[in-house]
Amino acid sequence: MRTTLTLLIAASALFFGGCVKEVKPWEKETLAKDTMKEGGPNTLLKSYEEHTFTSKEASKGGGGVAGGGCGCN
Amino acid sequence: MRHFLLLSLLMTLLFGYKEGDTIDPQLQKHLGLQDDKVYIIDFFASWCSSCEKEIPLISKANQQIDKAHVEIIGIDVDKSAKKANAFQESLRKDGLLDFRVINDPMNLIIGKFEPIGMPALYYVKDGKVLAVIYGAIDDIDKQILKDLESL
Repeated sequence: MRTTLTLLIAASALFFGGCVKEVKPWEKETLAKDTMKEGGPNTLLKSYEEHTFTSKEASKGGGGVAGGGCGCN
Repeated sequence: MRHFLLLSLLMTLLFGYKEGDTIDPQLQKHLGLQDDKVYIIDFFASWCSSCEKEIPLISKANQQIDKAHVEIIGIDVDKSAKKANAFQESLRKDGLLDFRVINDPMNLIIGKFEPIGMPALYYVKDGKVLAVIYGAIDDIDKQILKDLESL
Protein backbone atom coordinates (compact mmCIF):
# COMPACT_ATOMS: atom_id res chain seq x y z
CA MET A 1 0.00 0.00 0.00
CA ARG A 2 2.78 2.37 1.04
CA THR A 3 4.85 1.53 -2.06
CA THR A 4 1.84 2.11 -4.32
CA LEU A 5 1.21 5.46 -2.66
CA THR A 6 4.88 6.49 -3.03
CA LEU A 7 4.87 5.44 -6.69
CA LEU A 8 1.61 7.33 -7.26
CA ILE A 9 3.05 10.50 -5.69
CA ALA A 10 6.29 10.14 -7.69
CA ALA A 11 4.34 9.58 -10.94
CA SER A 12 2.10 12.60 -10.22
CA ALA A 13 5.13 14.76 -9.44
CA LEU A 14 6.76 13.72 -12.71
CA PHE A 15 3.54 14.25 -14.67
CA PHE A 16 2.67 17.64 -13.23
CA GLY A 17 6.31 18.72 -12.95
CA GLY A 18 6.23 19.43 -16.67
CA CYS A 19 3.71 22.22 -16.05
CA VAL A 20 6.09 24.14 -13.80
CA LYS A 21 8.58 26.47 -15.42
CA GLU A 22 10.62 28.95 -13.46
CA VAL A 23 10.46 32.52 -14.73
CA LYS A 24 14.04 33.68 -15.15
CA PRO A 25 15.00 37.28 -14.24
CA TRP A 26 15.42 38.15 -17.94
CA GLU A 27 11.94 36.81 -18.79
CA LYS A 28 10.05 39.24 -16.56
CA GLU A 29 9.08 41.75 -19.25
CA THR A 30 5.37 41.09 -18.85
CA LEU A 31 5.61 41.09 -15.06
CA ALA A 32 7.34 44.47 -15.17
CA LYS A 33 4.40 46.12 -16.94
CA ASP A 34 2.36 48.71 -15.05
CA THR A 35 -0.78 46.65 -15.57
CA MET A 36 0.78 43.83 -13.54
CA LYS A 37 1.33 46.06 -10.54
CA GLU A 38 -1.04 46.49 -7.62
CA GLY A 39 -3.71 48.99 -8.66
CA GLY A 40 -2.60 48.82 -12.29
CA PRO A 41 -1.31 51.83 -14.19
CA ASN A 42 -3.56 54.18 -12.20
CA THR A 43 -1.41 55.61 -9.39
CA LEU A 44 -4.44 57.15 -7.63
CA LEU A 45 -6.16 53.77 -7.47
CA LYS A 46 -2.91 52.20 -6.27
CA SER A 47 -2.55 54.65 -3.37
CA TYR A 48 -6.26 54.20 -2.51
CA GLU A 49 -5.86 50.41 -2.41
CA GLU A 50 -2.68 50.69 -0.38
CA HIS A 51 -4.41 52.99 2.11
CA THR A 52 -7.33 50.57 2.49
CA PHE A 53 -4.95 47.62 2.93
CA THR A 54 -2.85 49.48 5.52
CA SER A 55 -5.98 50.46 7.52
CA LYS A 56 -7.54 47.00 7.42
CA GLU A 57 -4.47 44.84 7.90
CA ALA A 58 -2.31 47.16 10.03
CA SER A 59 0.62 46.24 7.79
CA LYS A 60 2.32 47.83 4.85
CA GLY A 61 4.36 46.88 1.78
CA GLY A 62 4.95 43.66 -0.06
CA GLY A 63 2.71 44.64 -2.94
CA GLY A 64 5.36 45.23 -5.55
CA VAL A 65 8.41 43.75 -7.19
CA ALA A 66 11.75 45.32 -6.30
CA GLY A 67 13.50 47.36 -8.95
CA GLY A 68 10.59 47.91 -11.29
CA GLY A 69 9.65 44.28 -11.63
CA CYS A 70 12.93 43.05 -12.99
CA GLY A 71 13.75 40.91 -9.97
CA CYS A 72 16.60 43.08 -8.78
CA ASN A 73 17.97 43.20 -5.24
CA MET B 1 10.98 21.28 2.68
CA ARG B 2 14.37 22.42 4.02
CA HIS B 3 16.14 19.94 1.72
CA PHE B 4 14.12 21.17 -1.22
CA LEU B 5 15.11 24.79 -0.51
CA LEU B 6 18.77 23.82 -0.13
CA LEU B 7 18.63 21.86 -3.38
CA SER B 8 17.02 24.82 -5.20
CA LEU B 9 19.76 27.14 -3.90
CA LEU B 10 22.44 24.65 -4.93
CA MET B 11 20.93 24.34 -8.42
CA THR B 12 20.95 28.14 -8.75
CA LEU B 13 24.60 28.23 -7.74
CA LEU B 14 25.58 25.34 -9.99
CA PHE B 15 24.21 26.71 -13.24
CA GLY B 16 25.34 29.81 -15.08
CA TYR B 17 28.66 31.61 -14.85
CA LYS B 18 29.92 32.70 -11.46
CA GLU B 19 33.23 33.99 -10.10
CA GLY B 20 36.17 31.93 -11.36
CA ASP B 21 34.28 30.26 -14.23
CA THR B 22 35.65 30.29 -17.76
CA ILE B 23 33.33 31.52 -20.50
CA ASP B 24 32.72 29.16 -23.39
CA PRO B 25 35.34 29.98 -26.13
CA GLN B 26 32.63 30.23 -28.80
CA LEU B 27 30.74 32.76 -26.69
CA GLN B 28 33.98 34.68 -26.07
CA LYS B 29 34.41 34.90 -29.84
CA HIS B 30 30.80 36.01 -30.30
CA LEU B 31 31.25 38.75 -27.70
CA GLY B 32 34.58 39.77 -29.28
CA LEU B 33 36.62 39.23 -26.11
CA GLN B 34 40.41 39.50 -26.29
CA ASP B 35 42.82 38.05 -23.76
CA ASP B 36 44.65 41.23 -22.78
CA LYS B 37 41.62 43.29 -21.75
CA VAL B 38 39.23 43.52 -18.80
CA TYR B 39 35.62 43.42 -19.98
CA ILE B 40 32.61 44.65 -18.07
CA ILE B 41 29.51 42.94 -19.41
CA ASP B 42 26.25 44.62 -18.46
CA PHE B 43 22.95 42.82 -19.00
CA PHE B 44 19.95 45.11 -19.36
CA ALA B 45 16.52 45.43 -20.96
CA SER B 46 14.22 48.31 -21.88
CA TRP B 47 11.56 47.11 -19.42
CA CYS B 48 13.99 47.00 -16.49
CA SER B 49 13.75 50.40 -14.81
CA SER B 50 16.77 49.77 -12.57
CA CYS B 51 18.86 48.94 -15.64
CA GLU B 52 17.69 52.17 -17.27
CA LYS B 53 18.86 54.12 -14.21
CA GLU B 54 22.25 52.39 -14.25
CA ILE B 55 23.10 52.79 -17.97
CA PRO B 56 23.89 56.56 -17.79
CA LEU B 57 26.12 55.91 -14.75
CA ILE B 58 27.92 53.06 -16.52
CA SER B 59 28.42 55.37 -19.50
CA LYS B 60 29.84 57.98 -17.11
CA ALA B 61 32.31 55.38 -15.82
CA ASN B 62 33.11 54.46 -19.44
CA GLN B 63 34.37 58.00 -20.01
CA GLN B 64 36.83 57.66 -17.15
CA ILE B 65 38.26 54.21 -17.83
CA ASP B 66 41.42 53.36 -19.75
CA LYS B 67 39.87 52.10 -22.97
CA ALA B 68 43.10 50.42 -24.06
CA HIS B 69 42.77 47.97 -21.20
CA VAL B 70 39.08 47.99 -20.29
CA GLU B 71 35.92 47.75 -22.39
CA ILE B 72 32.28 47.87 -21.37
CA ILE B 73 29.87 45.73 -23.39
CA GLY B 74 26.11 45.96 -23.00
CA ILE B 75 23.86 43.00 -23.68
CA ASP B 76 20.27 44.03 -24.41
CA VAL B 77 18.03 41.04 -23.63
CA ASP B 78 14.82 42.49 -25.07
CA LYS B 79 13.00 39.83 -27.07
CA SER B 80 12.11 42.41 -29.71
CA ALA B 81 15.17 43.72 -31.56
CA LYS B 82 13.08 46.68 -32.75
CA LYS B 83 12.23 47.63 -29.16
CA ALA B 84 15.86 47.13 -28.12
CA ASN B 85 17.19 49.34 -30.92
CA ALA B 86 14.62 52.07 -30.19
CA PHE B 87 15.55 51.99 -26.48
CA GLN B 88 19.28 52.21 -27.20
CA GLU B 89 18.75 54.90 -29.81
CA SER B 90 16.78 57.08 -27.37
CA LEU B 91 19.57 56.76 -24.80
CA ARG B 92 22.35 57.39 -27.33
CA LYS B 93 20.52 60.46 -28.63
CA ASP B 94 20.61 61.97 -25.13
CA GLY B 95 24.24 60.96 -24.63
CA LEU B 96 23.31 58.47 -21.91
CA LEU B 97 24.69 55.38 -23.62
CA ASP B 98 28.19 55.35 -25.05
CA PHE B 99 29.35 51.75 -25.05
CA ARG B 100 29.05 48.85 -27.47
CA VAL B 101 25.78 46.90 -27.20
CA ILE B 102 24.96 43.44 -28.49
CA ASN B 103 21.29 42.52 -28.89
CA ASP B 104 20.32 39.15 -27.46
CA PRO B 105 16.69 38.68 -28.59
CA MET B 106 16.86 34.89 -28.36
CA ASN B 107 18.40 35.19 -24.86
CA LEU B 108 21.22 32.83 -25.86
CA ILE B 109 23.95 34.92 -24.21
CA ILE B 110 22.11 35.59 -20.95
CA GLY B 111 20.97 31.97 -20.98
CA LYS B 112 24.63 30.96 -20.59
CA PHE B 113 25.41 33.51 -17.88
CA GLU B 114 22.12 32.94 -16.01
CA PRO B 115 22.28 35.87 -13.59
CA ILE B 116 20.02 35.59 -10.55
CA GLY B 117 18.75 39.15 -11.02
CA MET B 118 18.85 42.15 -13.31
CA PRO B 119 20.74 44.36 -13.94
CA ALA B 120 23.78 42.08 -13.83
CA LEU B 121 27.37 43.18 -14.29
CA TYR B 122 30.20 40.71 -14.99
CA TYR B 123 33.91 41.53 -14.85
CA VAL B 124 35.76 39.27 -17.28
CA LYS B 125 39.48 38.90 -18.03
CA ASP B 126 41.22 36.22 -20.11
CA GLY B 127 37.81 34.60 -20.59
CA LYS B 128 37.39 34.20 -16.83
CA VAL B 129 34.68 35.75 -14.67
CA LEU B 130 36.46 37.82 -12.02
CA ALA B 131 33.45 39.25 -10.20
CA VAL B 132 29.69 39.66 -10.54
CA ILE B 133 27.32 42.37 -9.35
CA TYR B 134 23.62 41.53 -9.27
CA GLY B 135 20.93 44.18 -8.91
CA ALA B 136 21.05 47.94 -9.05
CA ILE B 137 23.62 49.98 -7.13
CA ASP B 138 23.13 53.73 -6.62
CA ASP B 139 26.73 54.72 -7.41
CA ILE B 140 27.60 52.01 -9.91
CA ASP B 141 30.01 54.36 -11.74
CA LYS B 142 32.09 54.82 -8.58
CA GLN B 143 31.81 51.11 -7.82
CA ILE B 144 33.13 50.19 -11.29
CA LEU B 145 36.13 52.51 -10.95
CA LYS B 146 36.84 51.16 -7.46
CA ASP B 147 36.53 47.55 -8.64
CA LEU B 148 38.84 48.18 -11.60
CA GLU B 149 41.51 49.50 -9.25
CA SER B 150 41.42 46.31 -7.20
CA LEU B 151 41.35 43.90 -10.17
